[in-house]
Amino acid sequence: MKYFLRRIAFFLATLWAAVTLNFIIPRLEPGDPAEVMVRKLSGKDAQLDPAAVKAMRAMLGAPDGNLLRQYVRYLDALAHGDFGLSYTYYPYGVTEVIGHALPWTLALVGTTQVLSFIIGITLGAFAAWRRNSRFDSVVTLGSTFLGALPAFWIALLLLFAFGYTLGWFPTSGGYEDSIPGWNGAFIGDAVIHSILPAVALLVTTSVAWVLGMRNTMVLNLGADYIRLAKAKGLADRDVALRYAARNALLPSVTGFAIALGGLLGGSVLVESIFDYPGMGRLMAEAIGNKDYPLLQTLLLFIVVGVLLANLIADMLYGVLDPRVRRTPA
Amino acid sequence: MSILEVHNLSVRYEPRAHPPLTAVRDVSFDIAEGEFVGLIGESGSGKTTLGTAVLRLLERPGRISAGSIVFDGRDITHLAEDELRPIRWRDLATVFQSSMNALNPVTRIQAQFRDAIEAHSQLRSDAVTALVRQLFEMVLLDPAFLTAYPHELSGGMKQRVNVALALADRPRFVLLDEPTTGLDVVVQRSILDRIRSLQRERGFAVLFISHDIGTVLDISDRILVMYAGRIVESRPAAALLADPLHPYAKGLLGSYGDPRAETVHLTYIPGRPPDLTRDLVGCPFAPRCPERIARCLAEEPPLTPVGAGLVACHVARQQRAPAPGDDRTGVPERTRGFAGPTFVRSGEPAATERGPTILELVNVSRVFQRRRGLTVHRMTAVDDVSFTLARGRIAALVGQSGSGKTTIARLVTGVDRPSSGSIRFHTPDTTVEVEKLRPRSLRRYRRHVQMVFQDPYSSLNPTLTLGYALTRPLQNHLRLGRAAAHARAVDLLETVALTPGERFLNRYPHELSGGQRQRIVIARALAAEPDLIIADEPISSLDVSIRAEILELLHKLVTERDIGVLYITHDLLSARMIADEILVLNGGRLVERGSALDVIRHPADEYTQMLLDAIPNPFGRLSIDTI
Amino acid sequence: MTAPATPAGEAPGPGGGPQHWYTVIWSSAKARIGIVMLAGYVLVAGLAPLIAPYSGTRADFDPLLPSGSTHWLGTTSQGGDIFSQLIYGSRVSLLVGLFGGLLATVISLVIGLIAGYQEGSVADDALSFVTNVALVVPVLPLMIVLISYSDVRGLPLIVGVIGLTSWAGPARAKRSQIITLRNRDFVTAAKFAGEGPLWIIFREIMPNMMSLVAASFVGAATGAIAAEAGLSFLGLGDSASISWGTMLYQADAQGAVSQGLWLWLLVPGLTLALLITALTFINFGIDLISNPHLRED
Repeated sequence: MKYFLRRIAFFLATLWAAVTLNFIIPRLEPGDPAEVMVRKLSGKDAQLDPAAVKAMRAMLGAPDGNLLRQYVRYLDALAHGDFGLSYTYYPYGVTEVIGHALPWTLALVGTTQVLSFIIGITLGAFAAWRRNSRFDSVVTLGSTFLGALPAFWIALLLLFAFGYTLGWFPTSGGYEDSIPGWNGAFIGDAVIHSILPAVALLVTTSVAWVLGMRNTMVLNLGADYIRLAKAKGLADRDVALRYAARNALLPSVTGFAIALGGLLGGSVLVESIFDYPGMGRLMAEAIGNKDYPLLQTLLLFIVVGVLLANLIADMLYGVLDPRVRRTPA
Repeated sequence: MSILEVHNLSVRYEPRAHPPLTAVRDVSFDIAEGEFVGLIGESGSGKTTLGTAVLRLLERPGRISAGSIVFDGRDITHLAEDELRPIRWRDLATVFQSSMNALNPVTRIQAQFRDAIEAHSQLRSDAVTALVRQLFEMVLLDPAFLTAYPHELSGGMKQRVNVALALADRPRFVLLDEPTTGLDVVVQRSILDRIRSLQRERGFAVLFISHDIGTVLDISDRILVMYAGRIVESRPAAALLADPLHPYAKGLLGSYGDPRAETVHLTYIPGRPPDLTRDLVGCPFAPRCPERIARCLAEEPPLTPVGAGLVACHVARQQRAPAPGDDRTGVPERTRGFAGPTFVRSGEPAATERGPTILELVNVSRVFQRRRGLTVHRMTAVDDVSFTLARGRIAALVGQSGSGKTTIARLVTGVDRPSSGSIRFHTPDTTVEVEKLRPRSLRRYRRHVQMVFQDPYSSLNPTLTLGYALTRPLQNHLRLGRAAAHARAVDLLETVALTPGERFLNRYPHELSGGQRQRIVIARALAAEPDLIIADEPISSLDVSIRAEILELLHKLVTERDIGVLYITHDLLSARMIADEILVLNGGRLVERGSALDVIRHPADEYTQMLLDAIPNPFGRLSIDTI
Repeated sequence: MTAPATPAGEAPGPGGGPQHWYTVIWSSAKARIGIVMLAGYVLVAGLAPLIAPYSGTRADFDPLLPSGSTHWLGTTSQGGDIFSQLIYGSRVSLLVGLFGGLLATVISLVIGLIAGYQEGSVADDALSFVTNVALVVPVLPLMIVLISYSDVRGLPLIVGVIGLTSWAGPARAKRSQIITLRNRDFVTAAKFAGEGPLWIIFREIMPNMMSLVAASFVGAATGAIAAEAGLSFLGLGDSASISWGTMLYQADAQGAVSQGLWLWLLVPGLTLALLITALTFINFGIDLISNPHLRED
């Protein structure tokens, strides 16, 4: 149990660090991002809500007041989910804008992450087991090259080939002719729209798992417990899965959160290429418009998302590896 | 009826990046049903490769390049994995040498028995559990550990699990590859005794691989001696012990002795085994052999019957079973012992007037505290130890792992500090309280106190030359200039018999053998002209045949220089050879101390007696036989 | 005594000792290909003015010319020569790779060495915590936010941000390696030879971790090159110079995808991918030094 408690404590500590980092970044800038935002928003609407101005100052920094008081105000704003107004989507608040985008990204990135993990681990384990075979060379070389391709470039090519040239898939957006909700028509529509972005992300992220899994498993295959398993006359399948792959999987699990971070980074580019209504596209838009409240809040959401994924991966690791779960007295 | 027959087996390693080598060459032997056969040889002799080949577990780049393996009348040399699988474990089981890591770390112990049992029998569910329980009891393990994970077991327990696992499917042949290496002598002993009695009970055949000739002789019916990938002698254990034929076997036997004897002679074999990547001409042992004749250098001796055994040696064959056409010029007289160099230690050290005290431990304790959450675990590594060491004397600190001997070394060298008590280092001018030293004065103190480490493979920096290793202490401690340090380093190399010294200065550690490295480590310790040397198991990671050589060298150098030595070991024989006095440690407490011969001959403490009993002592058996 | 994979044991000579690092790297076919490819890129970047027919920033040609003898890969919609842009773009990628990689490596070395050498101390706890946080914070979004606050968009900013955001993984690897090295007897022996801690770290321990340092440098350089391309594609790149990322940014912004201008899309991405492949191949070779098990035998 101690392991799990320690990981929860680590999660809370990193959460605090991330929230604080989010506080520090805008205040590192020589200018006054909050003031810039207020001025820009005033251009759109003279009747700016004073509460919204206050929230933005809490998020992005105020010229007056000491840092400690600003920090308290910032935490208070966070606690109330008050992130200010989005310049891009004025008069909507940042919370609302992100609230609409979040499910899309969760679905796209979540599915891709799980699929790429499963595909990558399976291919990697198989390549390691058939080490130095033709299958291994093809998978290793193919992964190296595919892993070198930038996800956004693959997205452009997919869009060009399957969107515009062949016309098999829609070229932009998250849905078209359906009304959002839990109905079959909408879900089907959304799935069709997300196939190309998902493939673009899958190609590059799954190969990282392939190479990682292959190399750990090749190392593990030299271990004494694998030799003993072979000497026991167990079926190849058992040795490969229950002995070699089972152990080689462990380091991959610890890389889960880092991979998710990479995937979210890639999704900023890919979503903006496909005009997919998720958080990545919001971020690309926020960059173009210098929409600091939106940008800063998106970063916070992304970081917290990754930290949560990390916590889940840690818990899973504890379940998978008895050595951390049951430390001898 | 032979259960295993090996005919003219050769194994080659053909890695891409290295020159190929023949690790096992033209080896033939057989093992009868229920026979217990020992296979001895030093590291690199090919014994593990041979064992792996017999189990058909060789992996690339190794392969069987010639010969055959016949198991129970069936040639298994080239059987496909699918055909081998049914006979694995049911007929051919094994305990690997590093069994610490032989269990799957993420599965419960029971599951690792279950898959082996279910793969080869009709037993399922509760019947399997019952069998595993029985196997646990057989190796004297608490069945409560059935559901444990490997990391929750101690080294000795893991080893017992591996033995039980090997016997799970009632195999007819078990390969034991150094099954107890790395364990405490006492634990080793009890596991081996258990294996031997189970073997008698159940009647399986065993090939027992070990570098430890004493243990092998103790336990085996017949012995195979391997050198440079070949079997050079095959004899019943008692015959080999009473009358070894091959000079290499004599040399190995000569590295053991009875520490209780008035005078102990230990022989050693100078030189090193041949490079197996090259083609060898003549007998591979000839360059190291004190009995060689001209023919040995030209013609490789075949393994031929002599008396009740086999030997591959021109000299031995001509001495015992001369053939009509033999040219007998130069053939030496028959000897039982190895005709090479010998390290002799007799009686009490001559006229031991004690010099001035150099090191003094007063009521020293070291308690380790480890915090886990809110609870604090205390572990007393050293418990109220007091002793003194005089200049020019060698004191052996003897105990098993966990006895606190290494902790004492760390305390004396200032690497660690005692929880209570005092450690005083005396020079004619001043007294240093070691536990109070600050980093800078600690550096000055280390000019006077140096260490010889256990593992010569990790105590020399692989990226730096030997010249560097020797000149740095000279420059730092003695403030010698570059040229002076260089000249002194050459002297030091020659002092430890690495000549000409110049040729070694620009070498890297990997170019040296283990024995040569350990000489460098000794030379480095002497470089700063210390008053006290801590030698932490300096011979335990070396091959048996050269241990006495290093021990003799160390003994000679420190006595010449009037240096006090704290010699740390688990091995009473080496303590007897080098030390003036012996201090026995158990669980952090000093349980016995006295002059070396006294402690060994008249142990007062039960624990000392136990350590003595654990020393494999084939010669004890011999003396009864021959007297 | 010996494991079956390494039967050499006491035997000295050619089979006994470790090989030189360059022999090990060169022994891998992949690494050989990678080194040759990288050399090609370096050559092209160095000789860009000689190879490229026009300046990379010149944009006064007719827009959207197809590929032909004057413009091998055609022109962009703003009238730039695609081939020349491609050649000059290699300079940005290599510079970002070199300096971004160096910066990340230096930061990771300092943090990894301090934390590792002082393992268990408060300094180590603090540094390890910072490292673990930096490791899980997604790099690209962080870079985006950091850069978007700045009004000046130059290469130094990109290099700086890349260095500051991508040191964590290598730092952790170095920390754990130094911990294993530090507990080797030769480090204790160096203390007995009278060496101070700095000497021990840099003269005794560092040479033993060169393959890790090299691998992490190549890895960081690879990451930096990819990050620059991504940032430039989002319009956060250096506005004064042309890079493969900015080429793709312009291609996307000018509707190259919908208009079927596939050469403009294909070529910059492909050159980028080949450069990253070359670096990955080189790292295969470097990995062999520390992981003999991966050697192809």
